[in-house]
Amino acid sequence: MNDLSLTKPWLAAAGLSRRFRNGRGVGPVNLTVGPGEVQALVGPNGSGKTTLLRCLATRTRPNSGELTWFGDGDRQAARAKLAVVFDATAHADELSARQNLAFFATARKVRSDLWEPALEEAAVTEVGGDPLSRLSYGMRRRVLLAEALVGDPPLLLLDEPTLGLDVSGCQWLAEALSRRARTGLATCISTNDTDFVEQVATRVCFLVDGNAVRDAPLSDLLAELGGTREIQLSYRGPSPAASVRRVEGVVSAADATGGLLILARQRDGLLPDILATLGDLDAHLVDLKVQDPGLSDCFLKLTGRPLHD
Amino acid sequence: MTERSEVALNRSQSSVARMPRPRPTQLWQLELRGTLARRRALVIKLAFPLVLVIPLVTTGAPPFFAGMLLTVLFAMVGTVGTGVTITRARGSGWLDRLAVLPLPAWRVGLELFFAGWLVDALQATLVLTVIAIADRPDPATLATTWLLALSALAFSGAIGLGIAALTDHAGEAMLYLAVVLAPLLFLSGLFTGVPAVGFRYWVAQVLPFSYLHEGFQLLLGGNPPYGDPLSFLIAAVVFLAISLAATAALGRAILARTS
Repeated sequence: MNDLSLTKPWLAAAGLSRRFRNGRGVGPVNLTVGPGEVQALVGPNGSGKTTLLRCLATRTRPNSGELTWFGDGDRQAARAKLAVVFDATAHADELSARQNLAFFATARKVRSDLWEPALEEAAVTEVGGDPLSRLSYGMRRRVLLAEALVGDPPLLLLDEPTLGLDVSGCQWLAEALSRRARTGLATCISTNDTDFVEQVATRVCFLVDGNAVRDAPLSDLLAELGGTREIQLSYRGPSPAASVRRVEGVVSAADATGGLLILARQRDGLLPDILATLGDLDAHLVDLKVQDPGLSDCFLKLTGRPLHD
Repeated sequence: MTERSEVALNRSQSSVARMPRPRPTQLWQLELRGTLARRRALVIKLAFPLVLVIPLVTTGAPPFFAGMLLTVLFAMVGTVGTGVTITRARGSGWLDRLAVLPLPAWRVGLELFFAGWLVDALQATLVLTVIAIADRPDPATLATTWLLALSALAFSGAIGLGIAALTDHAGEAMLYLAVVLAPLLFLSGLFTGVPAVGFRYWVAQVLPFSYLHEGFQLLLGGNPPYGDPLSFLIAAVVFLAISLAATAALGRAILARTS
């Protein structure tokens, strides 16, 4: 890491914008990722996470704005210091994990004695000699991640990193990213898996309709939820969302897949007041769950929309 | 099996198992090994030109038409093989992965092309081997026509790469390939012969398919008006150089296009 600047951000986007002809896309966005940081790009489907990550990963040229890697705007030079995982698990499928990893590691000039440990850490050694076409989707994702993690690239960019991973896979990845952060390496992930983000991220950038609505340290975002509770209310009948929003202490309420998602400040009599709105609307309670708020509640608070529709 | 032979067999098996298999560290090696691993597809790819060439040489088909068919076949093999493969690679996200590696785009283009070209070259060699066995042509003509065939395959491959830079869909790529190849083959004199003078004469001189057509005619006992081994050799070298340069230049265009 001797040639890497510790004073300049390793990844910096200033006014970066990539819009398509239909107006969709992302930007303008300002973003920096420094050594030891894990920056998460979080937003619902279509919010521009992947487009932004593809720009940051040198794959897509932005329409406007400035993008630098390690203080330099040279994309080809940046590629020597970064590794990327896109959402597709494209490989030479007829060949084995070992053969695929050998190619990608050689292209990034990673020493050959590090190849096998990378497969071991990803728990794919046993099937490392089998053609990838015979492996499950989850195992192929592990191989993909091992190919990116091998050799500890200074900057790692991952699109939907937990896609297809089981619990142990997510745990392995979280440990690997945390270890990277501890050793001063930088990572940027794009995901709407908020549980994973809470485990690994140091900063979170929320994206909605291509715009960055908030970029802050994870700890600050979670601290803002202090004294609140997340209430998931499953009901039958007309939506009580508008009435619930008027209940004292309710910060935000929006219909989501599982019912009504409510973020509210704790107070005595909160739940009876919320349930009373159901009665007024002739709606019936089916299920009620109260829990500590998480990152998805930050998103709800910021935008009034659930992260997971 | 005796105890001794069993021990020997076990030893030999374990030494094979222990023998480190060299891993592909270059893109062309990875691509080539991927192709070789698809054994059924490989056998079909290598065998299907033989289905065409064996009846042609054994039934004494007129050299002009036999040469025309073989030239069209080689042109299709090069363009379709490269164009459709690259288009599919983009659709699967493979090119995305290659594009963010610290490899220059020209090298990615050349290596993708080279792996396909090697297999195409093997196909061509088999076809010419059949012709050599059946017709026993002059060795100089055989050797230069073989070089011409490799050169024409490279030229076709470069066309395929160019098409792959224009579209994300394999079906659309096939359509574009037909639209580009048909006039080139016509202008190469495959269907009507090359006129002695005029625009079409000069155009035919700058297309490798006209030389390859003449080469096949010579091999199959025909008597084309312009063909000779020296001009074949020069044409093979020139078109190979042009194809490689075009391929390197197209590498950037192929990787720049995102699906």
